[in-house]
Amino acid sequence: MSKSYRDGLPISPENFVDQLMRLKRGSIGRRDFLGLTGLGIATAVMAREIGIMPTPAFAAESLGDRMSIATWPNYHDPATFENFKKDTGVAVEVNVFGSNEEMLAKLQAGASGWSLFVPTNYTISTYKKLGIIEPLEMAKLPNFDGSQEDPRFTGEGTIEGVTYAVPKNWGTTGFAVNTKKLTKPMTSWKEFWDTAMAEGDSRTMVHDYQLTTIGNALKYYGYSFNSLKQDELAKAEELLLKVKPHLFAVSSDYQPGMRAGDAWMTMCWTNDGAQLHRDIPEIAYVLGKEGGEIWTDFYAIPKDAPNKPAGYALLNYLMNPQVAVKEHLANGAPSTDARVNKLLPKEVLDNPILYPAADLLTPLEFGAAATLTDPGRAELMARFKSA
Amino acid sequence: MRTFVIAVFAFLYLPIALVVLFSFNAGRHASEFTGFSVQWYGTALANPFLVEALKNSLFIATTSALLAALCGTAAALGLARVGIRTRAVFDALLGAAIVVPGVVIGISTLVALVQLFTVVNPFLASIWPDDQPPRLALGYGSIIAAHGLFSMALVTMIVGTRLGSLDRNLVEASSDLYATPLTTFRSIVLPQIMPAIVAGFLLAFTFSFDDFIIAFFVAGAQTTLPIYVFASIRRGVTPEINAIATIVLVASVLLVVLAQWQLRQRKPSN
Amino acid sequence: MLLGPATAWLVVFLVLPFIAIAVFSVGERAPEGGYQAAFTFAQYANLPARATAFWNTMVLAPIGALACLLVAYPVAYYLALRAPQRWRLILLALVVIPFWTSLLMRTYAWMYVLGGRGIPALLAYIGFEDVRLINTPGAVLLGIVYGYLPLMILPIYVSLERLDRRLLEASADLGATPLSTFLSVTLKLSLPGVMTGFSLVMILLLGEYLIPTLLGGGKVFFIGNALVDLFLQSRNWPFGSAIAITLVLVSVVVLIAANRISTRVSGARRVDLI
Repeated sequence: MSKSYRDGLPISPENFVDQLMRLKRGSIGRRDFLGLTGLGIATAVMAREIGIMPTPAFAAESLGDRMSIATWPNYHDPATFENFKKDTGVAVEVNVFGSNEEMLAKLQAGASGWSLFVPTNYTISTYKKLGIIEPLEMAKLPNFDGSQEDPRFTGEGTIEGVTYAVPKNWGTTGFAVNTKKLTKPMTSWKEFWDTAMAEGDSRTMVHDYQLTTIGNALKYYGYSFNSLKQDELAKAEELLLKVKPHLFAVSSDYQPGMRAGDAWMTMCWTNDGAQLHRDIPEIAYVLGKEGGEIWTDFYAIPKDAPNKPAGYALLNYLMNPQVAVKEHLANGAPSTDARVNKLLPKEVLDNPILYPAADLLTPLEFGAAATLTDPGRAELMARFKSA
Repeated sequence: MRTFVIAVFAFLYLPIALVVLFSFNAGRHASEFTGFSVQWYGTALANPFLVEALKNSLFIATTSALLAALCGTAAALGLARVGIRTRAVFDALLGAAIVVPGVVIGISTLVALVQLFTVVNPFLASIWPDDQPPRLALGYGSIIAAHGLFSMALVTMIVGTRLGSLDRNLVEASSDLYATPLTTFRSIVLPQIMPAIVAGFLLAFTFSFDDFIIAFFVAGAQTTLPIYVFASIRRGVTPEINAIATIVLVASVLLVVLAQWQLRQRKPSN
Repeated sequence: MLLGPATAWLVVFLVLPFIAIAVFSVGERAPEGGYQAAFTFAQYANLPARATAFWNTMVLAPIGALACLLVAYPVAYYLALRAPQRWRLILLALVVIPFWTSLLMRTYAWMYVLGGRGIPALLAYIGFEDVRLINTPGAVLLGIVYGYLPLMILPIYVSLERLDRRLLEASADLGATPLSTFLSVTLKLSLPGVMTGFSLVMILLLGEYLIPTLLGGGKVFFIGNALVDLFLQSRNWPFGSAIAITLVLVSVVVLIAANRISTRVSGARRVDLI
C-alpha cells in the first residue's frame, strides 16, 4: 500500500530511523520511503522550486509502472503519453471505444482495468448513480482550475456539489463529406439521410451507438434529438431501416474509411472533422441546420481503478495548460479551459469547424441522461444494427 | 489441378506475406509502406503492454493445455471403465463443450462468474479476520478455465479414440505376467496413447493462444495477445503488431521443423 | 476418481453457466442495463426482432462452408493422391502453418487488401474507378473461406489418404471413365471426411463474430454479432441469454442433422468432430 505524502508528514526521529532501516533492508521501495518519512514533500517542494518536477503530485506517491486509459478513436496526441512516461516512468495503455454504452457495459461487468476514462457529459449522472466512478480528490489535481472553465460546458461533471469528472473538451456532432465525390452542397440532416440513399449509396457511415444515430434520424422529422416518445422513435426507426441497406458501415471509427476513400460521408464529431479537413481539404464538416448534438467529454476515474495514483497523476498532467494545448492541436476539438485558449494560435480559434456560427449552435442539444439507459432506444439501435 | 492448388496456397499466404512485409515498414502506419526498417521489432519488445499480452497468452495457453491434457487423459482412462449410462451422460457433456459456440461459452461464463462473485466476495469479507480479504475477480483463472473446458473435451475424445484401438492382448499379457496395474499403465498403455496426448496438447495450446472471443468476455482486466491486437485494430495498427505476429510465426515454424527433425532422428532406432 | 477433475470442470464451467443463462433468459433488463430477476418469456417472444441476424447466419454459414469445401476438396485430393511423396509433408505443413499466425492479424491484412488502398486502388489505376469491396457479404464470405480453409482440407485429406488405391485401379481396369471412378469411388469414400469438415466449419460459423465484425463493418450481422451487441451495447443480459440459448439449440439441431445426413449418404456411423 502506498501512502500519500500528506499522511506521512509528522514523523518522529525513531520512526524515521525505523523506516530508513526498512528501506535499507529493501522491505519498502524508495518512493514509499519518501512518502512515509515526509521527505517526499520536501523533495517535491525543492524539485518544483528548481524546476525538475513538472507537478508536485508525482513526487511522493508510488505510481507503479503502467496504467490504462479508455478513450475515443484518434483522440490524443501520442506524444502526450510518451512524455508522461518520460516524466513519471508510467507507461500508458490506450484503449479505444466507439460508444459510451460500451464503456458502461465494461464497467458494469467489473474489472475494466482502467485508471482513467473519458465519459461524455450525459453519462456521468448514471455512473454516479451506479456507484462506479470515484468522487475526485481535487487536492490531487492542482493543475485544474475550475474558475477558468467555461460553465456552459462543464456543469455535468459536478453532482450535488461533488466533482466526479473534469472536462477535456467540448464539441458538436455533424457530418463530414468528401466534396469531390459528393459535390452537391449540403446543410441539413434531411439532406444527409436522403443523400445516403442516393448519390452516397454504399458510401455513408453512421455512428455505432444510439444517441446520435437515432437522434439525427429524429432530426429528419424535426423532432427533439433526445426524444423518448414512442411514435417519434417509430418514425426514426422506419427511416433507419430504410437507410440501412444503403450504408457503408455502422461504426464510430470513420477516419480510416474516409481517408482510404471507401466512405464519402459520415456522421462525425468536431475533432474528427477538424483532423480530416486539416489533412484532406476536400473533406468538409457540416452541422445540420435542424440541430443535433453539442457535447462535452470529461475525464473520470473508475471506482475499481487498479492504479489510482497514476490515474490522478495522468489527469493532473493533462490539466496542465502547456500539455493540454498540444492535445488540442492534435485532437482538434475546442477547449473549455480559458488558460488553454490563451495559448492556442489564432487560426485555431477562428476555425469555423471548432467554433460554428451562433445560428448553427443555437438549435443544438446536449444529450439527455435518460437516453443512455432507455430500453426503447437501446433496443431500437440493436434492431437497426442487426437488420 | 496443380495450378489451382498453387493458387490456393497463394491465397493462404498472401495475407501472411503482407503481415510480415509491413513488420519491416519504416512508417508509423500499417497501411502505407514507406521504407525498410527493423525498428518496430525493437519498439514491440520495448512495449510493456504488448510484451505482457504475449507473456499472458503463453502462460494461459500452456497452463490450460497442460490441465486439459492431464484431466482429459484421466477422463478418457476413467471412461473406459464406467457403465454405459455414465458414459452416455459424459459423452453428451463433452460433445456440448465442443459444440457450444465460443461466444456463448464466453458470455455464459461471464454471467455465471459475475453472479458468483457478487455472492462469494461479501461472504469472504465477512469471515476474513483482517480487513483485506481476498477478492475473487475475472482474470487468469477464468480464461484458463474457459479455454481448458473446450480443450479438455478435445483431449478426452482424441485419447479416448486411441484407447479404443489399443491392443487389449498386450494389457492382459502384462497383467498375466504379474505386472502391477501401474506398471502396465506406464510401460504398455502410456506409450501407446502418448501421441494422442501430445496432439491434444498442441491443439489445445493453439486454440487457446489464438482465441479472441472467449477471452474477450472473461479476461477482466487481463490482456491476451488477441485482445491486444483487436484493440490495436480499433486504435490504428502500428507495425509493432506485425512484428510480434512475425516473431510468433517464425517461432512456431521453427518448433514444427524441430519436432519433425526429432521424429526423423528417432525413426531409425524403431 | 479419474473422472473427478473433468466432471468438476464440466459442471462448474459448462453446466452452471448454462443454468445461469437459462435463469437470466426468463428475467428482465434492469433499468440501467444488466439483469434483474423476473419470470417472463418476453425475451423469447422478442426473438423475431433478430430474425435478420438469424437468417444471415443460417444462409451465410452453409454457403460459407460449401464455398470452403469447393476450394478445399481439390487441394486435399492433390495432397493425398497426386502430390509427390517427398512434397506431401511439406505441403501439409503449409496448410497448418497459417494456424500459427493470429487469425485476427490475417483478417486485418484482408481489411487492407479489400480496403480503398488495396485492390480498389489497383483497379482505379487500370481504369475501374470507385470499386467497393470491403463491408460487403462477398468480403465476409471471402474471410470465412480464408479463415476456415485448413479446417476443411485436413479431414478430407485424412479420409482420402486412407483410401485404398487398388480400388481406383480396379475401377479403371473395369473400364470406368476417370469421372465415374471419381464419383462412385473417390468421392463416395471421402464423404466422411467431407461431412466432418463441413459440420465443423458450419458449427464454428454459427457462432462467428470476428470475421463479420472486421470485414462486414457492422453491416453484415451474424447472430454472434447480435449477441455481443446485446451484452456490450444495449446491456440487455436477459435477451442476450435467450438468444444464446436459442443459438445453442440451433447448433445441436444442425449437428444432429449433419449426423443423419452423413449416416444416410456414407453409411458412416457418426460425424467425428475431430
